[in-house]
Amino acid sequence: MAQRETTVGPEAGIHGRPAARILKAAKSFSSRIVLVKGDREVNAKSIIKITGFARKGEKVIVRAEGEDEEQAVETLAEVIAADEY
Amino acid sequence: MKLSGVGASEGVAVGPAFVPRTDRPEPQRTGIVEDEVGAELERFGDAVRVVAARISETAEGLRGSGNEDEAGIFDFHAEMAEDPELASAVEERVRNLESPEAAVLAAGEEYAVEFEAMEDEYLSARADDVRDVARQISAELMGRADSGFEALQEPSIVLAKSLAPSDTARIPKGLALAFVTAEGSRTSHVSIMARSMGIPAVVGVGDALSGALDAETVAVDGTEGSAITDPDPETVARYGELSQALAEERAALDRYRHAEARTADGRRIEVAANLGSASEAGGALEWGAEGVGLFRTEFLFMERDDLPTEDEQYDAYSTVARVFGGKPVIIRTLDVGGDKSLPGVDQIHEDNPFLGWRGIRMSLDTPDLFKPQLRALLRAAAHGNVKVMFPMVVEAGELRKANEMLAEARRELEEEGTGVGEIESGVMIETPAAAVCAAELAAEAAFFSIGTNDLVQYTLAADRGNERLRKLQGADHPAVLALIRQTCSAAQEANIPVGVCGEAAGDPQLIPILLDLGVTELSMAAPSIPKAKKVVSEWKRT
Repeated sequence: MAQRETTVGPEAGIHGRPAARILKAAKSFSSRIVLVKGDREVNAKSIIKITGFARKGEKVIVRAEGEDEEQAVETLAEVIAADEY
Repeated sequence: MKLSGVGASEGVAVGPAFVPRTDRPEPQRTGIVEDEVGAELERFGDAVRVVAARISETAEGLRGSGNEDEAGIFDFHAEMAEDPELASAVEERVRNLESPEAAVLAAGEEYAVEFEAMEDEYLSARADDVRDVARQISAELMGRADSGFEALQEPSIVLAKSLAPSDTARIPKGLALAFVTAEGSRTSHVSIMARSMGIPAVVGVGDALSGALDAETVAVDGTEGSAITDPDPETVARYGELSQALAEERAALDRYRHAEARTADGRRIEVAANLGSASEAGGALEWGAEGVGLFRTEFLFMERDDLPTEDEQYDAYSTVARVFGGKPVIIRTLDVGGDKSLPGVDQIHEDNPFLGWRGIRMSLDTPDLFKPQLRALLRAAAHGNVKVMFPMVVEAGELRKANEMLAEARRELEEEGTGVGEIESGVMIETPAAAVCAAELAAEAAFFSIGTNDLVQYTLAADRGNERLRKLQGADHPAVLALIRQTCSAAQEANIPVGVCGEAAGDPQLIPILLDLGVTELSMAAPSIPKAKKVVSEWKRT
C-alpha cells in the first residue's frame, strides 16, 4: 500500500473539470485508489463519490493498493494539488 | 391565451403543440428470483454501456458544434452512468433479489439525496443529474426509450414544465420548432440549447403553462418572450411569414457566419460579440464571433446580498477566455452607478446617476471593490487572450491611476506566487471628453472601444430612455461622427486598434460609415454577427 497527503488546489474544489481530471488520472491505473478526508473514504474512480468530496485548501490523503500503487499515489496527489483547470 | 415569460432565444415560430410524456416509466417488476441474478447483472452491464455510449455521442455532437460547456455536462453524465460505485450498489441490490431496473432507480436516488444535502448550490444541483442518468439506465432495462419524445413525429412547439439536458439532446433533429417552459431563465440549460439550435425559446412562463397544455397550435415569439395558444388564422399566417422570412435571411447569411471578416479591398475587420454573462460565450461562437468586444461584468454584482469574491470573478472571466481560445476577450470593469445599489458600497442618492459616481470613478475610489476585479482579470489572463477595459474615463489621469492599480495587483499576485497572464488595458470612449482627449489617452492605452450608446446620449444631451427624444438617439449625428473620427485619427496616429461596441456596431446602415472613419473592430449582439460580416465583406474604400 502507498499513500500520500496532498492539498486540494483548484479554486472550485473537487468538482466540474478538476473532478473529471482526477477521475481520468485514477482510471489510468490498475490499483484500487481511495481518497481519504477525516473519517471519510471514497473510491477515486467514482465520479459520484469524488464530486464535492473536498474544497480548495483541504487536506486529502491518496491511498492506493495494487501493482502501480506508487505511481498512482504520486500522480493523483499532483493532479489534486494542481490549481489550474 | 397569451403566455408571458423570458425571451431566451430569438426568433418566431408557429406550429402544433407537443407536450412530452412526463410520466416516467415505473418498473413493473421489482423482484427477481435467485436463478436470474447472474443474467440480470449482465443485462445491467449492457444497459450501462448502451446509455453511456449514447450520452457520449451527444457530447461529441455538442463539442463538434462548439458547445464545450454543454458537452461537459454530458461527459459528466456518461461518467456517472459507468460509475463503479453505482454499479456495485446496484449489484448488491440485485443480489438481494431486486430487479435491476428498480435497483438502479433506488441507488441513484440515494446518491441524489446525498448531493441535495450539500451546501454548495452547484453541487446540490447535481442531484438531478444522478436521477436523470439512473432513469435512463432503468428505461433501457425496461426496453423503453425514456425520452418522452417518442410521439413527436412532426415539427412542433415543445411545451414542458422544464427540459433536462437528456430531454433536449434526444429530440430528433429538426422536430423542435421552439421551446416554451414554465421554469428557467436565460442561463438555464434549455435556453442555451435553444440558442445553439437556433430555435426560439420562451422560458419561465410559470403556472400559466398548465392551462396551455391542451392547446393544438402555438405561436412563439422568442424575441419578445411570449407565446399565444390556439391563435387566430391571421396570427398564424403572420407568424408563419415572419419565421419564414427569418429562416430565409438566416440561410442566406450562413456562409458569412464562420468566415473571417474582411472588407472587399482586403482590410481585416474583427467582428466580435458583446456578452452580458459567461454562459453566453458558447452561443456567441456559434454565431461566428471572432472575439468578445465587450464582456459586461455587472451580472456578477447584481441581484445578490454580497459582493462576488475574487475567485467567483476569476471563474467567470477564465471560462470565457477558455471558450474563446486565443481569440481576444475584452472585459470591462464594473460600470454601475447610483441607479443600482451595490452591497457594501457606500452610495448616496444621486439625482443624475448617468452623470454621477460610476464606472472608473467609483472603481478608483473603492479599491476594495476594484482590486479583486483586477486580480481576477490578471489570473484569468493566464487562460486566454484577455484584455481589460475601463469605462467612463474622461481624462488620462484616470487611466494612469487604473493602470497603476493593475500593475500593483500584478506585483501582489506574483509575490504570492499566483499565476498571471499578459493583459492589455484599453479605454472605453463613451464620453465626449474622452473622444476630445483621445490623443492623450492613446499614449496610455493599448486599444480604444467606442461605446456609441453612451457617447450619443452624452454628446447630444439626450437621455436614451426618453421616448420623446428618439430623433436624438442616432449615432449618425454629425457631432457624434466627428467625435468618432477624432478618436479613430488618434488611434491611427498611436497605431492602436479602435473598436465600436454600441448598438451602432451591428447596424447594417452604420457599419459602412464606421469603417470609413477607420474603425477596425465591431462588437455587437451575437445574432447580428453574420449580417455584419456580410456588410463588411461588401464594403470598400471609395
